[in-house]
Amino acid sequence: MTAVTDQDHTEHPEHPERPKQHEHPEHDASEGSEAAMRTDSGSPWDDGLIARRVNGSAEEEQRTVTESRASGPQTVAPLAYGPHLGSRLEALRELVGLSRARLDHRTLAPAGRVLDESAARRRLSGQHTVVAIAGATGSGKSQLFNALAGVPISETGVRRPTTAAPIACSWSDGAASLIERLGIPPRLRRRPLQATADADERLRGLVLVDLPDHDSAAVQHREQVDRVLGLVDAVIWVVDPEKYADAMLHERYLRPMAAHAEVMFVVLNQIDRLPGEAAEQVLDDLRRLLDEDGIVLGEYGEPGTSVLALSALTGDGMGELREALGRFVSERGAPARRISADVDIAAARLWPVYATRRRVGLSEEAREEFSDRLADAVGATAAGEAAERAWLRNANRACGTPWLRLWRWCQERSEPSTGRVALRGQPDEEVTARQRVEQAVRTVADRASAGLPAPWAQAVREAATRGSQGLPEALDELAVRAGLPPGRPPRPGWWPLAVLVQASMTVLQFVGGLWLLGQIIGVTAPNLGVPVLLMVIGIVGGPLIEWSCRIAARGPARRYGLEAERRLREAASGCGRARVLDPVAAELLRYREVREQYGRVVGVGAGGGGG
Amino acid sequence: MLQNSPKIGHSSHVVTLDVRPQLLDALSALRDRVAAARFPLPLAGAARARANRDELLAQLDDYLVPRLRDPEAPLLAVVGGSTGAGKSTLVNSLVGRRVSEAGVLRPTTRTPVLVCHPEDHHWFSGMRVLPDLTRVWVPHHQDTADDLLLPGENPARVLRVETADTLPPGLALLDAPDIDSLVSDNRVLAAELISAADIWVMVTTAARYADAVPWHMLRTAKEYDVTLVTVLDRVPHQVVSEVSRQYGALMTKAGLGHVPRFTVPELPESAWGGGLLPATAVAALRTWLVHQTLDPAARQHVMARTAYGVLDSLNARMPELAGAAAAQYAAALRLTAAVDGAYDSEHARVRGRLQAGAVLAGDALKRWRAFPLDCTPGELLDTLVESLSALLLCAVAAADERVDDAWRREPAADAPELTARDPAPESAEHRIGLAVRRWRRELEEYAEDEVRELERGHAPDPEMVAALVATVLLGGRRARNAGEGLAERIGAHGALRLRDRGGRLLLDVVDRVMHTERERRLAPLDALEVHAEPQAELIAALSVLQKER
Repeated sequence: MTAVTDQDHTEHPEHPERPKQHEHPEHDASEGSEAAMRTDSGSPWDDGLIARRVNGSAEEEQRTVTESRASGPQTVAPLAYGPHLGSRLEALRELVGLSRARLDHRTLAPAGRVLDESAARRRLSGQHTVVAIAGATGSGKSQLFNALAGVPISETGVRRPTTAAPIACSWSDGAASLIERLGIPPRLRRRPLQATADADERLRGLVLVDLPDHDSAAVQHREQVDRVLGLVDAVIWVVDPEKYADAMLHERYLRPMAAHAEVMFVVLNQIDRLPGEAAEQVLDDLRRLLDEDGIVLGEYGEPGTSVLALSALTGDGMGELREALGRFVSERGAPARRISADVDIAAARLWPVYATRRRVGLSEEAREEFSDRLADAVGATAAGEAAERAWLRNANRACGTPWLRLWRWCQERSEPSTGRVALRGQPDEEVTARQRVEQAVRTVADRASAGLPAPWAQAVREAATRGSQGLPEALDELAVRAGLPPGRPPRPGWWPLAVLVQASMTVLQFVGGLWLLGQIIGVTAPNLGVPVLLMVIGIVGGPLIEWSCRIAARGPARRYGLEAERRLREAASGCGRARVLDPVAAELLRYREVREQYGRVVGVGAGGGGG
Repeated sequence: MLQNSPKIGHSSHVVTLDVRPQLLDALSALRDRVAAARFPLPLAGAARARANRDELLAQLDDYLVPRLRDPEAPLLAVVGGSTGAGKSTLVNSLVGRRVSEAGVLRPTTRTPVLVCHPEDHHWFSGMRVLPDLTRVWVPHHQDTADDLLLPGENPARVLRVETADTLPPGLALLDAPDIDSLVSDNRVLAAELISAADIWVMVTTAARYADAVPWHMLRTAKEYDVTLVTVLDRVPHQVVSEVSRQYGALMTKAGLGHVPRFTVPELPESAWGGGLLPATAVAALRTWLVHQTLDPAARQHVMARTAYGVLDSLNARMPELAGAAAAQYAAALRLTAAVDGAYDSEHARVRGRLQAGAVLAGDALKRWRAFPLDCTPGELLDTLVESLSALLLCAVAAADERVDDAWRREPAADAPELTARDPAPESAEHRIGLAVRRWRRELEEYAEDEVRELERGHAPDPEMVAALVATVLLGGRRARNAGEGLAERIGAHGALRLRDRGGRLLLDVVDRVMHTERERRLAPLDALEVHAEPQAELIAALSVLQKER
């Protein structure tokens, strides 16, 4: 006990309250969690980072603070995750919260479990590292456990399977709540031989758990192993020369846990059963298999899984394991690394429901196309053309020669009329083409949801469908309101002049005609030239004026038609934007938010979290 | 051939190997049925059913049919077990020569090795058993087979045949790869090889006897009621009796107490790399095997027991396959029903909308209002045709959406063949446009016919008539005026006739379009060929077989 306090004092002078906590292991956890909360809620790292960037002069000072804080949690008492991991966990929590309405419970369950476990682990001691010893039947897990503890704690034997329930052994006090969490009853908690514990200063803080086998016919053993493996900080996999290539071990455990490489040891036990160089060969083969499993091997001091060969029976290679374990435990980084790997795995599992292959969003073209389709549905183009032609027709009629008008009138009287007249009067229901509206909404929803993961695509589609309810009716109403520009159609300035000239042409014809008539009956002096000239001017000028008016009227008619079309089109697209495009865009924005949050969980945007 | 066995093995009737040609015929018919069974839809049990089918097929091809055809062929004892159980060492020791490579690196045996007496070589060099494994024959004193493999040959699909005088004629040993190998090909091959055995030799070790994997194998052996013998290998001297007792207890508990058990101690000179145990270590097993081979009664018993065991196992395995086939068919039916339901309801909706005059809306309605003063008949026809295409396309898209919705809840719809949709959704638009334009052309021709019958003087413009009749057909109540206009132009009688013909044509087009699109949607499902027949055929083949026994 004194050794512990001394060590703590020398290493961390800023925490003089540690020894007291050691005397009250029950309080340890609660105080630890409080401290963790404090450091977290204060979030000194994030603020510091931001301040450092904003205020250049404070940089040096801030950095020292940040470093001392950042290095604190790794070595000091209560467990606190580093700023990086903290922000990732926070992002994961928010991600789960944001996604709950969109994703089903099953998909989010693993992420929720990671959050729960990380929170539970944080409440407990950061001084301790829980290491499980796992392996197949007869690989010598218990043997190794006993060899590390220095006392025969765990029963070993030839009877298979031997160990039925996990046994814990703590090298120092204060780990009760941690062991409690593993569900190991007090009768299965042990202490190592005092002499061994004293001799191994560096193992202080180690909580060793001997697990049952994972491959025996006893299914409940496997369940125990799976449960405890989810809760411990690190794992020592014990394999033996006979079983090191078992499919069960590699496929069921090592491959899925490849992300946890930094908190794993793989130990080849029973090398005393191998002759000569065979041990080295088997170890190489084991390394190769682990490499194939995707596990990063910690060679040459790089972070990763350490692979060791030893014999728990003869004690060969035990020293190396002790040393590696001691280094590992004294770093006190295993819990955070384990949780970090858990977050990695959870994020990888959520990849298909968040990731997109391409940029998502509603492109300008898709919006345009939607507007066009709605305009088609209300018949904007046709309405514009009809308005243009009607205006042109009226203009022609107004500027035409009276004779032509007379002839047309006669013609019309003899022609059978079609429904135009009657239709005008009757109010129309369903002016808008329902099928076109439906198709427009469907197309824009498809465009918007293209490339999105299935749940989000579904949400976008639902938003579009919800928005499209009542859209045709609204468009009906709008088509009636915005059908034609209000008031009389606008007339160009030259119009009265044209009518006047046309009228004067008619007058000229009449004048010429009367003059000639006068000459014939002898009222006026015979003068053939002038009246004929007047009549010719009148007869030729009338159609000429009509023709030029028609040419001149084309422009205003076109403008009038376009105006009519534009009004209808804008009204329709405004209606569509409000009812469909905006909800869809909101849904896409929501997805983008979630996607960003996911990026933060994965760790890409972690730096971005600080700024 | 009818012989009684001294011992009665598995059931009440006397064990004989009575092979009549009818039985063989029935068996090969059954084999064909099993080979024809397919489980393409990814249902919950489909993967399992596929594995079962493959296993059954392998057992029929590799074991049951050849065995019943040639009862005098040598007994094949396959040595199987977990990684590092010492299978190769055991085979080498039984033969007395290094025929199979043994070593400390796992998995050791990658190529299965068959050892037989030189006189029996012809039984195995041909394709009588294990027809899909390439044979490699290695002359004496060659070290490894790997050097002899032709380049590009898959080492996993090769069987090395060795001969040894030390084995009695009539017995062949096969050293199989690990049943739980990391290499999945090896696992599959091991299962296949074990299925081909007359005698299953299961090897386990002192460290492994409680492992789950070998026990699965033992349970399977029990289920098929094959001739089984277990070897507890690598037992350290100190604990022989205890481990052996433990193992015996476990076996008895599993209902395998009667199975012969042999214990081989762990010996330093053999364990790692040497590959040869002293003859005394395996003498008991060897004696047992030789006895089974040389004693005709014992041999008959061994053979008949496994053969009948496998035949009996068909009673359970065939209905299982048939059940899986039925589940496939049921799922396919559900998928088809979803498509049919969606298209039927959309079809009904389209008809309703047509009658309500939904086509005469939007652009078409605006044109119709401007007709004939500000709009030509051609333009009116164009917009009507376009509007009709839009209605049909909308119906098809809606039906597809409903199908997608329904299929999303069906696990069977995840089959890659079904999820890979038509790459170009525009093609539906194209097809519908084509059909509708053809309808327009035909309608115009009808109109021309009608107009031609009228007197020259009054004949109206045929296009005008076509436009009016199209409006009447597509406009529903709204187009009453069009009907009047049509009657004025070509007479009430002609108008009625034209409307009838055009209406029939329209219904025809709608039906055809919906039918075509439905067929296209169903095509990938039809291509999977999930039918009702396999279930009945499997059961029928089994009952024929049962009758012939």
